[in-house]
Amino acid sequence: MRSIIYYLREFLRPEWIRKFFFAKTAPLETPSYFKGYPTLTGNECTACLSCMMICPAPKAIAVLRTRDGWEPEIYPGHCIRCGLCVEACPEGVLSSGRILDVTRRDGTAFWSWYHLQVDDNLCMRCGNCCVSCPVNREIDPQLAGSGTSSSDEVIMRVEGGRVRILHEEKCTGCKTCETQCPNRAIRVARMVEGVQIGEAEV
Amino acid sequence: MKKTVDVSIPLGPMHPCWKEPVRLKCETAGERVLRAEVELGYMKKGIERIMQGRPWQEVMFLAERVCGICSVVHNMVFIEAMEKISDIAVPPRAAYLRVVANELDRIASHILANFSYCYTIEHETLAMYLLNTRETVLDNLERLTGSRINTAYMIPGGVRFDLLPGDAAAMLADLAKVEEEMRRHTRIFETGPLIALRSKGIGFMSREDAIRAHTVGPTARASGVEDCDLRLRHPTYRELGFTQVTRTEGDNFARVMVRFQEVFQSIDLIRKCIDTLPEGPIRGGGFCKAGETSYAGEAPRGELTYTIRTDDYGRVVDIAIRTPSVMNIEACAHAMIKDAASIADVTSTFISSDPCIACNER
Ligand code: SF4
Ligand code: SF4
Ligand code: SF4
Repeated sequence: MRSIIYYLREFLRPEWIRKFFFAKTAPLETPSYFKGYPTLTGNECTACLSCMMICPAPKAIAVLRTRDGWEPEIYPGHCIRCGLCVEACPEGVLSSGRILDVTRRDGTAFWSWYHLQVDDNLCMRCGNCCVSCPVNREIDPQLAGSGTSSSDEVIMRVEGGRVRILHEEKCTGCKTCETQCPNRAIRVARMVEGVQIGEAEV
Repeated sequence: MKKTVDVSIPLGPMHPCWKEPVRLKCETAGERVLRAEVELGYMKKGIERIMQGRPWQEVMFLAERVCGICSVVHNMVFIEAMEKISDIAVPPRAAYLRVVANELDRIASHILANFSYCYTIEHETLAMYLLNTRETVLDNLERLTGSRINTAYMIPGGVRFDLLPGDAAAMLADLAKVEEEMRRHTRIFETGPLIALRSKGIGFMSREDAIRAHTVGPTARASGVEDCDLRLRHPTYRELGFTQVTRTEGDNFARVMVRFQEVFQSIDLIRKCIDTLPEGPIRGGGFCKAGETSYAGEAPRGELTYTIRTDDYGRVVDIAIRTPSVMNIEACAHAMIKDAASIADVTSTFISSDPCIACNER
């Protein structure tokens, strides 16, 4: 009984109550050198997956289905804060935190594009890759089933019995061709180069 | 006289002093340890297999996840190996910034190793002091690279972020603080009579044993092996002027002291880098090509080798990583613990060689 009274007296002291309920800790401050993670701006995501395809860190970003649409999610433990996803998104869904400020300050950037290569020994000229490519189909909706096309604007077409790559720079890196190829003859690789702006452009 | 084994005492795989799971079987006769055996394989990650077939920009993040304590050097050795394959040149400013990041990482790793040792010999006060100092170092690593542990700071042909003059000044100020604190900790360690009782003359490994067991890094240097610091061969370090630390005692005390001395050397190196930081770009650009190479660098624990084969797309076809702890752990079991006077010293002797199981079981 005495101890209960003792405890009650101890914990009903106004000073203790004030400290318990109105504790004042200094607010946590973000250090000036913290580079931040990409954040959502609230624009609508179209699930084009450009951000996922350009991200160099394995499993750092995933575009997830939400109740009213799609939304990219950044996993901070994997994200290396390069800002590539922010630059890649055509809809402006992501904003950079402070990453792009830092890269702008340093004048650095990443250049990346997709490199296509057909292994002629494996390729059996079925034209699956040319037909399945979404960019190809948009350029030439009349694309023949064998992959031949009269348009010079397509990424690739079957020409003279072999697949010829015409416009590598139009590739969006979706890898549809790679998965559609029965022989794994076509390979898509993302080439990335870290450059200093200004020096590299001249 | 024939030695008889009384009992075989297992230490681990879970042990309060060990950072990671590993099992040590000690055959004892009374207090005396006759033989010790290391048993690995509790947390094999298979990371080399995961790396195969991935482009370099993904492998580079996996590489630094081989070990969380010395992640910067894994990043650095992998990137420099890729640069060697593809003939990519690094701008001088980036090369110096790499050294800064690498040395900060080395300081953090050495302090953690010494923390472990002090904790094992139950000098918790010094252990906690050391951890406290390590925080400042990690903060500076974040100031430079944006992260405390997995930094991904280097890319082929340069580094990711620049060091601003303001940040450089703040870093120098912090380093002065770290140096002062470390001087104090080193003095405590060097002069503590109880520390000496648990460390001096214990876990002795001769120079011959060290060479025969192919030990590397501070473990070898504490036994007086010359020319085993690969930084001596690194062009940027040579520019900065570098001599290696060696001691000749070869016991637990020497191994810990080598790490303490290397911390000061690293601080000096960082100062030199920041003072003479060349102006210019931090990225040179360039693509990874097909090729094959074997490249070694000095990790905090010793020599770290990456053997890589890439294809035309910059994808890693084959990769083999040789980490320093492999040799050190074996040497520890066969040279240091063998014939130890007391089973009580086995843990501290093992920890004094700074075993890193994450590196071992990559
Ligand atoms: S910032 Fe870079 S690492 Fe992070 S999610 Fe975007 S692309 Fe991936
Ligand atoms: S790039 Fe933009 S629009 Fe496309 S999936 Fe990513 S967030 Fe959505
Ligand atoms: S990766 Fe996609 S866009 Fe590029 S060529 Fe293949 S199918 Fe077309």
